Amino acid sequence: MLLRGMIEDMARVNGVRHSDNLRAWIIRLVLWIVIILTLAPLLYVVTASFSSSDALSSASLLPVRPTLDNYKAVISAGFLRWAWNSTLVAFVVSFIQVVITSTAAYAFSRMHFIGRRYGLMILLVLQMFPNSMSVAAIYAVLAKWGLLDRLWIYILLLVGGSAFNIWLMKGFFDTIPKELDEAALVDGASNVRIFLNIVLPLARPMLAVIFFLSVIGYYSEYILAGTVLQSPGNYTLGLGMYNLINTQFAQNWGLFSAASLMSAIPLAVAFTILNPLMARGLTAGATKG
Amino acid sequence: MSYHSVPRVSADQRKRRTKSVQWSAYAYLSPAILTMCALSFLPMAFTIYISFTNWNEMHFLNYQFVGLKNYMSLFSKGNPLAIAFIPTLLWTLIFTFVSTSLNYLVGLFLAILVNEKTIKEARLYRTLLIIPWAIPALISTLSWQGLLNQNYGQINALLHIFHIPPIPWLVDPFWARLSVILVNLWLSFPYFMTVSLGALQAIPTEQYESAEIDGASYWQKLVYITIPNVWRVTIPLLIPAYSATFNNFNIIFLLTGGGPPRLNTQFAGYTDILASSAYKIALQFNRYDLSATLSVVLFIMVGIISIINMRFTNAFKGDD
Repeated sequence: MLLRGMIEDMARVNGVRHSDNLRAWIIRLVLWIVIILTLAPLLYVVTASFSSSDALSSASLLPVRPTLDNYKAVISAGFLRWAWNSTLVAFVVSFIQVVITSTAAYAFSRMHFIGRRYGLMILLVLQMFPNSMSVAAIYAVLAKWGLLDRLWIYILLLVGGSAFNIWLMKGFFDTIPKELDEAALVDGASNVRIFLNIVLPLARPMLAVIFFLSVIGYYSEYILAGTVLQSPGNYTLGLGMYNLINTQFAQNWGLFSAASLMSAIPLAVAFTILNPLMARGLTAGATKG
Repeated sequence: MSYHSVPRVSADQRKRRTKSVQWSAYAYLSPAILTMCALSFLPMAFTIYISFTNWNEMHFLNYQFVGLKNYMSLFSKGNPLAIAFIPTLLWTLIFTFVSTSLNYLVGLFLAILVNEKTIKEARLYRTLLIIPWAIPALISTLSWQGLLNQNYGQINALLHIFHIPPIPWLVDPFWARLSVILVNLWLSFPYFMTVSLGALQAIPTEQYESAEIDGASYWQKLVYITIPNVWRVTIPLLIPAYSATFNNFNIIFLLTGGGPPRLNTQFAGYTDILASSAYKIALQFNRYDLSATLSVVLFIMVGIISIINMRFTNAFKGDD
């Protein structure tokens, strides 16, 4: 409130332009502080990854006795295998996720069927059921059928439709003018053609959003991975890294940091580039009113 | 109000020329519905069934139907599950409300700041602030576990420079709870900032132009144009966010493991929320019967709250 009063006083005395300028600088100051608070922890992880393992609690941002030992050690522990498994799983599952999400969203957005009015709401609520038990159930079933420790089984278990994604996608489809479909219908196009040739190409931003959010989510999944996968050759990043820090935290902190950076940086760069697209996608459905 | 009445009219028109049911719609829906049935609804039915049995380590192969016994144990005095239940429920509600609201408000606040037109380099700030979202939560949460370690974490080392004594971040009940809320803020504000930014940029510029002609100040525009518009667009995203926090066992499991432990019951630590407690009971103690019961109770609560919220906003209903 004090700030507000100050700014208004300034505006009255010095005219609008001066107050704009002052406001810009106050905002900059706040943002700088927030950015430092946000990114400093990450810089510590960078530092730890280059420090030798006995230099744990240093508050310095410069590594003590810089070394690449952590990177070498984590690669020889099988990091590249984990990263490949995770990348494969994340891309395959996300691709399938986008396909099943967009067909279902198309039905909810464009077609008439029994259950349309409340169907999505019911699915959303049902998916809030906590799945603490599904791990035990899945383990019991897989063990009985001798299907444990297979990557493709793990992939199949992740390919479930998500009501939230369907809702996001439906919101985007709703913003695509229905006149386009109607024109195509007049020209004799079928539903399949309208979906594939009109709606899907126009929804590319949202397809990218769903795909990318899924990749980030599945890339580091560890609960089901820990249930299904057992041999180190099948480890995913989530599983490998969880074991790394959970077994011997103090000794492995440097290793863990190195693995974190190597696995997160490619994703983070791609994500940051795509983010403006995602902002539009995430709110498009809600702004339709 | 005009934006409310426009779609309603078109919905009515559409209703008037309602076509017959398109059966092919079910073909479009089937991949999603079938996978949901197999991976969400089947385990759900199984959980509900188990909650009425005594399936646990002691009766792994010869479990029986026990009726409402598990549900009674939630409320019977002296039972370890009952001791854990009420304090954990309270903490779950506090965590859900405080954490989600804080994440949203901080995200909205930062979105308004980085949307400031007079700052030329705002794009750079935006990019830097999104970074926490771009890192898989498993990696960043485990990293925080390391950074907040009381003895060799860098956060306490940093505080030491300012002569602040080491804080028992993940060890003391109060500080552990604060850590959970702060780390969840770090993880989540970029999502809300992104969503709010999308909403800010969708506000028609005419609204600001006419306000300017009327001589409105920066604060008047903020309070009467910006905030209401952003609120309207982001509220439907806030409801799934509340229920996600309510069920967000990941952050608890990875950051504190539910700890510090309670002395009078092993089923829930001080930071355990009901969802993480249910996992713990199933995976650590193999009490599938109790875990299932807790899951069902949890679902009933989150379901009722969500349905009320959804009816309130109407955002999730299909127009027939």
